[in-house]
Amino acid sequence: MSAIVEARGLTRTLPLDPPVTLVDDASFAIAPGSFTAIVGPSGCGKSSLLYLLGMLDRPDDGTLLIEGRDTTPLSGDARARLRLERFGFIFQFHFLLPELTALENVSLPMRRLGRLDRHAARDRAHMLLSELGIGEKTAKLPGHLSGGERQRVAIARALANDPVLILADEPTGSLDSVNSQRVVDTLHQVAGEQGRAVVCVTHDGAIAANADARIEMLDGHIVAGGTMAAS
Amino acid sequence: MSGRLNLLAGLAFKHIALRKRQTLVAISGVAVGVGFFLAVSALMIGSQTDFIKTLIDAAPHIIISDELRSPTPQPATLAYRGGAVAIRHQKARTEVRGLKDWQEILRAVDDMPGAIGSPSLTGGITLRLGGREEAIGLVGVEPGIEAKVSTIEDNLRVGRLRDLETVQGGLIIGEDLAQRMGLQMGDVVGATSAVGGTRTLRIVGLFKRGAGQLSASSGYVLLREAQSVLGRPFIINRIGVRLADPYAADDVAARLERRFGYKAESWQERSADFLSLLVTRNVIMYSVVSAILLVASFGIYTAVSTSVADKVRDIAILRSVGFSEGDLQLTFVIEGLALAAVGIMLGWLLGYGLMTILGSLDFSINGEHQSLPLDRSARQYAIAAAASLASGVLAAWLPARKAARVDPVDILRSAA
Repeated sequence: MSAIVEARGLTRTLPLDPPVTLVDDASFAIAPGSFTAIVGPSGCGKSSLLYLLGMLDRPDDGTLLIEGRDTTPLSGDARARLRLERFGFIFQFHFLLPELTALENVSLPMRRLGRLDRHAARDRAHMLLSELGIGEKTAKLPGHLSGGERQRVAIARALANDPVLILADEPTGSLDSVNSQRVVDTLHQVAGEQGRAVVCVTHDGAIAANADARIEMLDGHIVAGGTMAAS
Repeated sequence: MSGRLNLLAGLAFKHIALRKRQTLVAISGVAVGVGFFLAVSALMIGSQTDFIKTLIDAAPHIIISDELRSPTPQPATLAYRGGAVAIRHQKARTEVRGLKDWQEILRAVDDMPGAIGSPSLTGGITLRLGGREEAIGLVGVEPGIEAKVSTIEDNLRVGRLRDLETVQGGLIIGEDLAQRMGLQMGDVVGATSAVGGTRTLRIVGLFKRGAGQLSASSGYVLLREAQSVLGRPFIINRIGVRLADPYAADDVAARLERRFGYKAESWQERSADFLSLLVTRNVIMYSVVSAILLVASFGIYTAVSTSVADKVRDIAILRSVGFSEGDLQLTFVIEGLALAAVGIMLGWLLGYGLMTILGSLDFSINGEHQSLPLDRSARQYAIAAAASLASGVLAAWLPARKAARVDPVDILRSAA
């Protein structure tokens, strides 16, 4: 089965004095249906690698292939479109739009993609939130939800456009153990659905232990891990 | 496409609703700018229109006179046309003044749709009364036709133009002149021309005081009376032309001049100085009111800039979700547009109110009550709206561009 994402020698350096290398010559592949954990000490380049995979950042060197397609020549708009259609992001601090309700936050990517009309997008958002156990809180603003609930709204938003890859950056970092476990279970559940893969940056040993594969980083280098296989 | 616009507009409106005070300040700025733009431009354009109307109506739209743009070549010059000789100190041939074949010119004018020509003879005479003498310009007219060509009838305080036909030797002069000479309606005054013709004329009408030359130093008589007094029987030296479209006067005058050779002066040519002054006045006016609108748009700039600064984290979130730079730029431009649009509508109301107040003001000039001439046309509302929208978009576009250029990675990294 061909990889959803393939990194070939990705390098990212901040142009400071002296230059700071965030990611150095990272090469690996993410197979469909896999749950991959990126682990390592703080500041080793885990999040930077995740941003490169999600095309939020451009590598200074190397090639990123998404479903076999080289993303190097893509324009900013084309990268945004690809992100909208194929990726879902989850962050440590949920990063929901505070002035939108849970339902509106989840509808946002669907409405921007434009494949569903407003009502259909709301119906799907409602369904996703219900599946994640917060169907009764769709009208709440993020400020009126608990940390665990917000993160589940963020997961629902990440799943909204039915992506092939979920990129999660410390998704349990700000949650208590009960909510952390719930989020991890959800991520494991969504990984593998329709060949979807999850790449999760984490400090949590339990998440890493339960992952199908691990990429270990140190000072911007991948020190362990490589091409991953589906579970 | 409309779905995308609806979504971005929805986000923009959420932003606006969050910052009520700044929104109010920005909208108020635009409203005041638009309101005063409307009031000032209504006043300026209204007075200009009124002034031009006065210019148009003050005299016939075209005056064909017995003058030529260039002097007639003398016979000696014509004899050596094209020759390498210069003839100087020629004795100029005396010409009989007056419009030759004026009936043909008049026919040509009357044949034009909606046009009418009025023949007249002008010349200088001296009015004498009890040892007082006043030199005036005498104008001999056909009252029935002249009343259709010029508005002198409107300037009459007493009497009618037609009275010239019913009273033998009837004369209409201005109140100013009558006062200087101590004349009243029905009084008789002696008139002498330069060629020695003498008549006794009777005052049958008075032009209003302050009607310029008309009131100060002009006198109207019947055409044949003028021809007799001035010693120029059957001659006229002026044809006044009124057109259906006054703004065609320049073209028509040029055509008539080309055809008949006599100088045909349009009202635009006669008032060229005034008209160029009006252009300068308009440039000044639009510069000032545009500056007002521009300053008003600073409020939009501030509001959108603050919005961008406040929403920098949301911008990064939206980028991570898959919104493009263009989406974000458009969102903040819509924000500016919405502020401008609401400001414009309130500004229209304010401008309408100000115009109503200005229109209700009453001024007394020369004993006559006059109100301010105002241009309340939709054109001014449209100009105000277009200028405000343009400045609003520009004011929003600058911070919106900044929003689009936000690096989401920097924001996400610093927020983590």
